[in-house]
Parts: sequence; structure tokens; C-alpha cells
Amino acid sequence: MSKDTKFLVVDDFSTMRRIIKNLLHDLGYHHVTEADDGNTALPLLQGGGIDFLITDWNMPGMPGLELLKAVRADEKLAKLPVLMLTAEAKREQIIEAAQAGVNGYIIKPFTAETLKEKLDKILNGAAK
Amino acid sequence: MAGTSSDALKTQYGARVAALTAALERGDDAAFLAVLDDLVHTRRPELFNELRDLTSNLKVALDRFRLDARLADFAEKEIPDARQRLAHVLKLTDEAAHRTLDLVEESGPPAERTARAAETLAGPWMRFRSRKIELKEFHELLKRMDAFLPAARADAEQIRRNLSELLLTQGYQDLTGQIIRGVIELVRELESALIELTRLSGAGAVPADRASPASRGHGPSVPGLTQGEVASGQQDVDALLSGLGM
Repeated sequence: MSKDTKFLVVDDFSTMRRIIKNLLHDLGYHHVTEADDGNTALPLLQGGGIDFLITDWNMPGMPGLELLKAVRADEKLAKLPVLMLTAEAKREQIIEAAQAGVNGYIIKPFTAETLKEKLDKILNGAAK
Repeated sequence: MAGTSSDALKTQYGARVAALTAALERGDDAAFLAVLDDLVHTRRPELFNELRDLTSNLKVALDRFRLDARLADFAEKEIPDARQRLAHVLKLTDEAAHRTLDLVEESGPPAERTARAAETLAGPWMRFRSRKIELKEFHELLKRMDAFLPAARADAEQIRRNLSELLLTQGYQDLTGQIIRGVIELVRELESALIELTRLSGAGAVPADRASPASRGHGPSVPGLTQGEVASGQQDVDALLSGLGM
């Protein structure tokens, strides 16, 4: 995938969306759309044109895990790369997300290097 | 009318009252006093029990009254206050984070501008230093240097100002920290009032955990509060996931 990759960043805190958006810009990704929970994110994803989903877990409305499950259950979205970026750090939750088909899992607080590393790993894996 | 209760009284006391009357008529003082003592002994424990119940009820009522007043205070004033204080914390942190991001975003362009201008000056400057510069390029270099120096200074000053403001913006931590401490104290007081209430109502029942489906998430882990195994950092997460074949 190229620097034209279109991201959807889902987080209920606008500050966190802004931080992620800025980090993506620094990494050369300039196409970033935002949503504040799964309910607003899902129609955007189903509308097409999103190449990569970065989502929080704990959000009012539809939480990230349900969004992930909805994405995997949708024929058109099933293969969309999904990176979870969340403060949820329980082992059972990480396992649950992995079983639901997440491609990467970053816990907050996180560093710009971690984000870059996971993105590269997922994007290189997807390109193969 | 009071058939049953007076029947019960007759059964319980009838014989002894009769014995009392008989002893009085006989002039048998000793027998009279013995029966009377016996009657008093029968009634005394019941009186004591009633008295004990009465005082204990009174104490519960008084405790409850004090507690009710405290709980009313919590419900009417302190909880709404705390909610407002927490909403304020949210607002302060939101503002501080956005201000910080504004300043970072504003500092990028002047830093980049200065770096780019310095880079384009480097070539002619090196040629000048090694005395290989054409006269025309030299004049151009002087003009560009005249423009670069004040621009670089202005850009650096802007970045410096932004950094100072960034520093000040972090003051939100002090303010919100104090507010949150106050709320923690309130929660502690409320907790003891509720424990007291549970004790007074005699229900030993421990309130059930707030049921919240795990799929909603638990929020950030709080040291000493979060139960279960928690990943200590990103390395832990990576190790766990690679163990799962990811």
C-alpha cells in the first residue's frame, strides 16, 4: 500500500483522534477520516473507500470490539486491516480481540514509533 | 370480647392470683409474699426485653436520622457538585490537549521553512567559502542572506514562544489533579456512609458488581483497582499476540 492509504480513525475523544491524525500525517499519510464510535464508523466503512481502520475499544454507542466483529462479518469489509489502539490492557481482552480478527493491538499510552512499527507490519503483510 | 387474651391471662396468672387471695384471707404472710415474688419474677424479663428493644430502636432511629441527613447532603449537593467538577476536569484536559496540538501544529511550518532556506543557502555559501563563486551568484547570495537572517530569527522566536506556551499549558495537570483529589475524598466519604447504611438496615448483603458486558471495555487500567491479568506494556501485548500466532 502507498502513502495514498485512506485511514478511518475511530475514537470518542477528539484529542486522541487529533493526535493519531497528526502522527499519520508525520508518517506521510494524509487521507484520514474520523468517527467518534462504531455506530458512526460503520456506515463510513460500508460507504467504501477506506483502506485501513484504527479504532479505540471503549466508546459510548458501539464499542470497538463490536465494530471489529461487524467489519469481519461484512463480506465487503472482511479483509480490511484493523488496528486497535486502546487503553484496554487486560490479557483476556487482547486475546478476545485477536480471536475477533484484529490485525494489530496497541495500548495507550503509546509512542509514535510503536504506531509506525505496527502500521508498517500490517501494511507490508497486506501487500504480500 | 377479649376472650382469648383474658383466657391466656387466666391460664398464666389465675392459679397464682387465687393463691394470693387465699393466702391474704388466711393471714399467711409468708405464702402471700412468696406468690407475689413469683408473679413479679414472671413479668420482669418481659419488661426488660421491651425496654431493650425500645432503646435499641431509638438508637437506630437516631443513627439513621444522622445518616439520612448526611446522605441527603450527598444527594442534593455534593454528588451534583462532583459531577460538575469532573465535567470541568474533562473540559480543562480537552482544552489543554487541543492547545498543545495547536502549538505543535503551528511550530512545524516555521521550523521547516528555516531548515529549507538554510539548505538552499548551503550550496552558494560553500562556493563562496572556497572562492569559486561567480559575482552574480555572490550578489544573489548576499540578498538571500539579508532576507534569511531576520526570517530565521522571527521563525525561531515564534517557535520559542510556542514552546513557552506549551509549558504553561501543562498547568492543567495541577488544576485537574486537585479537583480529582477532592472527588476521590467525596467518594471515600460516600462509601463509608453507604456501608453504615447497609449495616443499619441489617442487610448483610454485599451489593452485586455492576454488571457491564466485557465487550464495552473496562477503561484504562488503574493500579491497585483493575482485577485480572493486565498487560504491563506494549512488549507484553506483542509477546501475547505472537504467542497466539500473530
